[in-house]
Amino acid sequence: MMRMSSRTCSLEGRQLQMTEACLFLSEYAALMLGCGATCIRIEKNVRRMARAMGMRPVLVIMPSSVELTLWDREHRLSSCNTEPIHRKGIRFDMNTRLSSLSWELADGKVTFDEARRRFAVISRLKPANKWLILILASLANASFCRLFGGDLVSMGIVLAATLAGFRLRQIMLEDGIDIRLVFAISAFVSSVIGSAGYVFGIGETPDVALGTSILYLIPGIPYLNSMSDLLDGHYLSFLSRFMDAAVLTACLSAGLCGGLLAMSIKWF
Amino acid sequence: MNFAMEIIQDGFFAAVAAVGFASISNPPKSAYPWCAAIAAVGHPVRFVLMESADCHIALASLAAALAIGCLAVFSAPAAKCPAEAISFPALLPMIPGMYAYRTFQNLVLCLCCGEGEFHHYFYLTSYNLLTCIVVLLVMAIGVTLPIFVFKKISFKATRYI
Repeated sequence: MMRMSSRTCSLEGRQLQMTEACLFLSEYAALMLGCGATCIRIEKNVRRMARAMGMRPVLVIMPSSVELTLWDREHRLSSCNTEPIHRKGIRFDMNTRLSSLSWELADGKVTFDEARRRFAVISRLKPANKWLILILASLANASFCRLFGGDLVSMGIVLAATLAGFRLRQIMLEDGIDIRLVFAISAFVSSVIGSAGYVFGIGETPDVALGTSILYLIPGIPYLNSMSDLLDGHYLSFLSRFMDAAVLTACLSAGLCGGLLAMSIKWF
Repeated sequence: MNFAMEIIQDGFFAAVAAVGFASISNPPKSAYPWCAAIAAVGHPVRFVLMESADCHIALASLAAALAIGCLAVFSAPAAKCPAEAISFPALLPMIPGMYAYRTFQNLVLCLCCGEGEFHHYFYLTSYNLLTCIVVLLVMAIGVTLPIFVFKKISFKATRYI
């Protein structure tokens, strides 16, 4: 009787441990997915940590949630949790730190409690300075204009168009406005400013200026992530990410068309 | 301007574009110089292949993405971040953005025109869509292939931060 009761206690303790591990790992996977990590990396990181804790994970990645089932090695105890995605935008800094955390836990450099504490710190990481991003993104788009053969005047127009459109995007996203509307409005504003070459008859390459003025809005990383998932056989995630990016592209195209109509430019 | 100067200019502006677009996706600070350097090598590969060898954009993008992927995998341990945190931002100047939005614009024009022009706009819609998808796919293949081939290096890059 005594032996049975102590065995029950140890099983209960082990079950509690598994439940805590399952909650942590599912939150970890949801945050990684939310910050734009590829499915293969999420699976590898979760598997690495679970194995280090003596458990076997089964991870199902859905478009808006992750489902994790943890089994012990003997296949006697299990724990399951479905966690909604913690959407953070594309955050490679979080991705890097979370990947590093998985190695630290797997290598025994940090305890489980310490890993949970660090995870909480990482999930609260603030994004880079918004003014710095604004300037860098504007310079990037102006350089992009040059890559497409734009002259200096066109580069200046694209710089101004990106500064205005990107700042508007930042303000509207901070105010919690729907991202699709944000993309359409930003593209509209950028294309109206980007059409300055046509309107004022300045520069040799007004078409390049107008064409590149909205390219900063193209969701490049989601497109690349979706293709990476496709190659890895995660077709649901591929489709979900590709469609998210395609919808945003459609919205910015609508904004551009609106800008062209507003400025009475026949571009095609 | 001679061809060598054009290549240098292409590399320089690709590096500025890569750093700027990378900043939107918040990479770790240590990744910025690597993104710039790798984009400055990768983009001119595509430029040279398209301009001098008359390569199709898809083939040239595949070669450039392979170069970027290989460089990113081997520099990830030094940059102390995952390979894709360097390679994906370095690829951003090559994303076929214009093809993507022209697909939707021509789709709208398909619906707003008569039968005579429909075939033309439908051709443009299909051409832009196919080019966009194929270029994206080959870029992803090119950049992912080195990650899969050198798995031990690419997935252990964040081990000793």
